[in-house]
Order: sequence, then C-alpha cells, then structure tokens
Amino acid sequence: MTPASLAILLLLLPLGSAALIGLFLRRQGALASWISVTAATGIALVAGHLVFRGLRFEAATEWLRFGDFAISLGFKFDDLAALMLAIVALVGLCVHVFSLGYMHDDPSRARYFGGLSIFMFSMLGIVLADNLFMMFIFWELVGFSSWLLINHWHEKTSASDAAKKAFIVNRVGDFGFLLGIIACYWALGAVNLTEIAAKVHGGATVVAAIPLLLFCGAVGKSAQMPLHVWLPDAMEGPTPVSALIHAATMVAAGIYMLCRIEPLFAAAPAIALNVVMWIGVITALYAAFCAIAQRDIKKVLAYSTLSQLGYMVAAFGLGSLQQTLHSDAGSFDVLVSAGVGAAMFHLTTHAFFKALLFLGSGAVIHACHHEQDIFAMGGLRKKTPLTFITFTIGVAAISGFPFLAGFFSKDAILHLALEKNHFVFGILAFTAVLTAFYMTRLWKLVFLGAPRSESAEHAHEVGPTMALPLVVLAVLSVFGGYTAIYGHVFDGVLSLVPHAEGSTILMVSLVILIVGAGGALVFYQPAATDTFEQKFPGLFSLLASKLFIDEAYNYYVAKIQQRFAMLLNFFEQIVLAGLIIRGLAGVVGLFGLGARALQTGRLSAYVYWFLIGVVLLWGFAAGWTFP
Amino acid sequence: MADILFYITAAFTVFCAFGVVFNRNTVNAALCLLLSLMGVAVLFALLNAYLLAVLLVLVYAGAVVALFLFIVMLLDTQGGHNRPFKIISLVASFGGLTLLLCGVSAIVTRGQLTAHGAPAVSAPVGSVLKSYAELLFTTYLLPVEIMGFLLLIAMLGVIVLCKKFEGLEDVK
Amino acid sequence: MIAGLNAYIALSALLFAIGFFGVLLRKNTLVIYMCLELMLVASTLALVAFSRFNGTMDGNVFVFFILTVAAAEVAVGLAIIVALFRRRQTVQVDELDSLKH
Repeated sequence: MTPASLAILLLLLPLGSAALIGLFLRRQGALASWISVTAATGIALVAGHLVFRGLRFEAATEWLRFGDFAISLGFKFDDLAALMLAIVALVGLCVHVFSLGYMHDDPSRARYFGGLSIFMFSMLGIVLADNLFMMFIFWELVGFSSWLLINHWHEKTSASDAAKKAFIVNRVGDFGFLLGIIACYWALGAVNLTEIAAKVHGGATVVAAIPLLLFCGAVGKSAQMPLHVWLPDAMEGPTPVSALIHAATMVAAGIYMLCRIEPLFAAAPAIALNVVMWIGVITALYAAFCAIAQRDIKKVLAYSTLSQLGYMVAAFGLGSLQQTLHSDAGSFDVLVSAGVGAAMFHLTTHAFFKALLFLGSGAVIHACHHEQDIFAMGGLRKKTPLTFITFTIGVAAISGFPFLAGFFSKDAILHLALEKNHFVFGILAFTAVLTAFYMTRLWKLVFLGAPRSESAEHAHEVGPTMALPLVVLAVLSVFGGYTAIYGHVFDGVLSLVPHAEGSTILMVSLVILIVGAGGALVFYQPAATDTFEQKFPGLFSLLASKLFIDEAYNYYVAKIQQRFAMLLNFFEQIVLAGLIIRGLAGVVGLFGLGARALQTGRLSAYVYWFLIGVVLLWGFAAGWTFP
Repeated sequence: MADILFYITAAFTVFCAFGVVFNRNTVNAALCLLLSLMGVAVLFALLNAYLLAVLLVLVYAGAVVALFLFIVMLLDTQGGHNRPFKIISLVASFGGLTLLLCGVSAIVTRGQLTAHGAPAVSAPVGSVLKSYAELLFTTYLLPVEIMGFLLLIAMLGVIVLCKKFEGLEDVK
Repeated sequence: MIAGLNAYIALSALLFAIGFFGVLLRKNTLVIYMCLELMLVASTLALVAFSRFNGTMDGNVFVFFILTVAAAEVAVGLAIIVALFRRRQTVQVDELDSLKH
C-alpha cells in the first residue's frame, strides 16, 4: 500500500469506529469499548509502520473550487508530522487501554468511546494536514470532540458548563486563527504549508499580524493567557480524557501548529516572536503560582499542564539560534530554528510524563473511590505500590530529575533562554523551581504519611488494564529523553534541539531541583489542611484567587456582553423584524386592503369609475400624456 | 319658423328629461320619459325623418315605455315614496355631468361643425320608404339579419330568465 | 338664429348628459334604466341630424338598428330586474350589493 493510502487508513480507522459506535452500538458499552481499542491499536500499528520505516511523503487532492480559489485536502508527512503522529498514536493507545478499566462501570461507556474515536480522527487530521484550511476544519472537530468528552457526565451542570466554556473560549481563539488564514491567503496567495514556506523563502514580505493572528488559534487551543480559563474547568471530564486531550495531544496541537507555520514567524518582524515568547512566559509563571494553592489533584495537574505549555510556547518564541557547525570544510555559522526543536522536544517528553501523571491520578481517584481532594488522601504508598512507583517517576520527570526525560527537554529550553534573553531565563528558572515545589507537594500529600480519610484507608491497587499503560508511560518517561533511541527517523526535528555545552545548565537544574523539591518536602506537613494556608494566609488567598480572571470574564459576559446582546435583540425585533420585514408585508397588505375597498358592490360607484375611465380615454385621445 | 319650433321642442325635451331624472315617483318618471320621447319624435320630424318619428313613437313610446310601466307596477314596492336625494350624490352627479359634457363637446367640436346650411330636401315623400328599403336590403343586409337573430336570442333569454326553477328559495 | 347642425348636436349631447346624470344620481333600478334609454334616444337624435345635414340616408337607417337593439335590450334587462326582484325583494341599487367585499 502506498504511504498515502496508509495515511487515509489512519484517518478511516477511528472514523469508522466512531460511526459504528454512534450509529449502532449506543447501548452496547462493552462491544463499543473493544471496537474503539481495536481501532486505536490499528492506528498505533499503521503509525508505527509509517513512522519507523521512514516513509515521508506529500499528497493532496482538490476538494472545493471557487473560481481560482481552491480548498484541497492532503497530507504532509515530514519528520515533524511523524513525531507528532507517534506521540498521538502511542499516548492514544495507552489511554484507550486505561479507559477499558477506568470506565468499566460507567453506564454510557459507548458514548465515551465513540467520543474518543472521533477525537483520534480529528487529531490525526490536524497532524497530517498539509494546508491551513484543512487544519482549521480538523481544529474545529477537535474542539467539538473535546466538548463531547468533557460533557460526558452531562447530568452534572458543572460538567456541561465546563464543556461550553471550553468550546466558547476555543472559538474565540479560532476566530483569530481564521482571520490569520484569510490574511495569509490574501497576502501570500497560498494556504498550503509547503507553498507558504517556498514563498517566504522566495522573499515575500510578511506582516507581523499574520503569524500573530494564526497564533491566536494556539492561544485558544493550548490555553495560553488570556484564553487559559477553560483548561482547569475541563477537568470535569473523565480522567483518561484529561490525560489524552488536555495533557498530551489536543493542547499540544497549538504548539504543533506553531511549528508548522514557523517560516512565517521567521520572515515576520521580530515583534511577532517576542509577543509569543512573553505570552508563554507569563502563562508559565501565572499557572505555576496558581498550582501551589489547589486542593484537587486534577486541578493541580491542569495548572501544571498550563505551565508546561507556557514553557513550550516560550521556547518557540525564543526563536532561532546561531550555531557553529564544524565540518571538514571548516566551521561555519548556521541559523537553526532551535525554538521549534526545543518546543517539540519538550512536547514529546511532556506528553509522556503528563499522560503518566494524569493516568496515575486516575488510578488514585479510582482507588480512593472518586475522592479528588488531596487533603483527604495520604499513605497510598503502601496501599497502591505500582501507582506510587509510576507516579513518582512522573513527578521526578516533570521536576527535572537528572537523566529522566524531562531533564533533557527542560535543559534544552533553559539553554536556549540563557543564550537569547537572560531575563526570560531567570523567570523560566524560577518557574521550574515552582514546578518542582508544587509537584513534590502533591506527591507528598497524596502518597506519604498516614491515610487521612476512609476512602484512603480502603484504597486498592489497579487492575492490569490500568496498570499496563502506566508502566509503558513510565518507561518512556525515563528513556524518552535520549534521542538516540529514536534512531534517525525524527532527525528533521530533533536535530534542531539545542544542546547545552558546559555545565552551567546542569548546575542550574540541580539547584532548581534541590530548592524546589527539597523545599516542598520539608515545608508541607501531611495534614488535613494546607500548611501554606496556615502559615501565609494572605499570600495563599492571593494565589488561590487566580487573580480573579474567571470572575472578570463572568462579569464581562453577564454585564457587558448580555446587555449588548439585548440591545441587538431590541434592534432586531423592532427594526429588522418589525419595521422592515413586517413593515414591508404590511405595506403590501395595505395595498390589498385598498384594492379591496374599491369593491363596494354599489352600482353607482362602478358607474363613477366608468366615467373616470372614459375621461382618461378622452384625455389620451386629445393628446394629453401624463405630465 | 322651423328654428323657433326647434327651440321650443328642444326646451320641452330637456325639461322632460330633467323630469325623468328628478322625479321621486317612478311612474311620474316613466311618463316624463314618454313626453321627452314625444319631443324627440317632433325633432325627428323637423329633420325630415318622418318615418323614424313615427317608428319612435310606435316602438319606443308605445312598447318600451309600456313595458316599463308594467314592470314598475309589478315590482316597485316603494312606489311613489323614493328617498330624497343626498346632497353629496347631487354634487357628485353634477360633477359627472359636467365632465361628460366637456368631454363630448371637446370631441364634437374638433371636427368641422361650422354653420351648415340645411340642403334641400332631396326626394319626394312617397319614395322615402324606397330609399330606406334600398339601403336596408343592399348595403345593410347583414345587420338586418343579425337583428333578426338578436331578437330571437332576446326572446329566448327573457323566457329563460323568467322561468322559476325548482328548489331555489328567495333569499334576501 | 338658424338651428344648424351645431344646435342639434348640442341638444343631443345635453340629453345624453342628462341621461347620464340620472344614471349617477338615482337609486331605483327602473329609473336608472329609463335614463339609460334616454341616452340611447339622444344618440339616435345625433345620428339623424348628421345624416340629414350631410344628405345621406345611412344615419336614418342606422336608427332602425338602434331601435331594434334598444327594444331587445329593454326586454332582457327588465327580465333580469324581475328575476333579481324575485331573489332580493328590492329594486334599490343600494341593497343589491352582494358583490361587496
């Protein structure tokens, strides 16, 4: 089979699974779950074949044509897409297997697995897309699947509200994205990614607005400030959904899209990259602060995801690096888009350990009978040893424990920051300290000490379907940072990763680890209340308030937007529907009434009309035309 | 002499015509119509159309007005007590009348209606009928036949219209 | 003053107008019909006057036809009025308004 048809198969497998489940298997949860898992396995196998056999290709077919404007659907399968595909397929398969166990007792299992399949279809569409329009179509589909899955327990108003919030906030970002696509087409005449790169290299001028508008899509999808508000609320969905969508893949789609349009950023004025960098930095810092004050285990992980996404965006925004390459002909300087490399590398490792952390938290929640407050847990080290081990590996990876996956990717970002902008380096280093701090806090409060509630007392270990993905992801979190294990299949991306030379960065990360993790270990006492809250109540309430951003949005929507909507409604009712539509109909009706009034039925009236007609005819005969 | 006669007859006819219009009693109006028909008959005679004068009296005054009086006798429930005229109807009708007059005179005076002297009477009395017959049975033969047909149709129509059909109630 | 063609035509026009006046003014169907006959007679007068002053016989002969038509028309018209009276018990034109909207 040709690579292109393999790619089509990749798309058809989840779509077929979703269609089958949606149309026929709405009540058969078990069968639906197996079909979905089979589809996910098929995807993983086909993806493995495509990725690791080094099959790289581009293929396209025209779909719609309006004059000389055409929308085509196609695949662009280069190293970047291969890396993303590998992540999506692997993490997807792990989450599917985990869901077999986690959602085993859920009555609407079939809907859940259908949603997972639709999500896989949409995500693979984004990964394989070769032009911005196709990417936008699947972008919206991914937003829809996210809504569907967050909304899984729709009987809870909080869940349906969270789903609506996610979709609406994403829509705001997508509006900017669409404007960006239109601007790109208008300025460059192409939306195909390869064509854009060619035009830019050929010397087309790119205004800063174009990549920044496209970045709006990433701001929405990857939950950067100010559109980050949906991600913590999205934790209302089932935990495997949070693992797949809101940790590893969908939110990473924004980063992926940024890397795809990197030529536009390279050709635009430097302000575009600067804006991107600062948004990423601010998001990372803000989210890290908020995570310290959270009680819910999933909310902590959500803010941690926000923070790490900020890292990736900041890395991308740091831009390219001047590197000296030595070869036989001598050494020469080359501009390497290190931002892309660092961001994608961190995306890969983050996918592994964040999915691991979320699935681990799923195991913990499942073990504690759906208790999610960390202050009601504790002592799970002895009750759930496998979960404990894998979760520890995840925490260590995210904190930057040496020689685990997160260590290498975070170092790459810090090295890049050190080279480009010392201020940003400082902020990112401080955020790394906070990351280690709150992750260790989470780890200690959940697993160490004595059990603090009934559910923690009776915690039980997870079954094999839930344990296997945890183990696989743990292994990857340990070894995923060694780029050598991938062979040369991802060289297009991984060669761009900046490597630290010398030991500065190594020292810095060790200091970060000791200060952050050690501080948390020492500071937090396993108790039913938050030690931080007790010792520094003012600071704690500031952190817990999340700077009132949610409240600000609520105020805006309730007071300003609703009033504007009411004004528009008034305008529509009175002017549009009333005056124009009913008015026009009324005028016609008046004509009818007038004509009707002529039919008096009295002979004399008709004779008068006759007279008038005769007079008019005389007038015409006498040569009188209308004056 | 003929002119004076003309003016007197004209005045009489117009006066009777107004009588037809303004008379509240229907029978009176019919009788005024009769009188104005007499006046027109005299005018015909003044125009040397003696046959037509007599025909007018015989057919119109004799048959038509008589028929009218029959129907008035049969139908007119209000009889002599028609309602008085409303002012607005008078004004509007008068407007209509003037309009009509203006129109007619405008058209009529566009031609050459200069003072035409009356030519001499061409044929003797005896052969007047012959001249009528000549025209009727040569140039105007087709209309004569059609007239016969028309009268037949009228007769049939009247019979059908006055038949009482079963099952029809008289609804007010 | 010589009563020329103009006078006869003026008289005919006047009679016609009076007949029309009656049609507009009166509310009794039978009287309206009578005024209609007056209009017809006025037109015959005009025809005869023209034929006399031009020296032809065509106008006179045409009056024959008008007379015939008038007679037929009166017969049929009165038959209609009688039929209408049978249905509506009235000959006032005001009350015969079932064509009203």
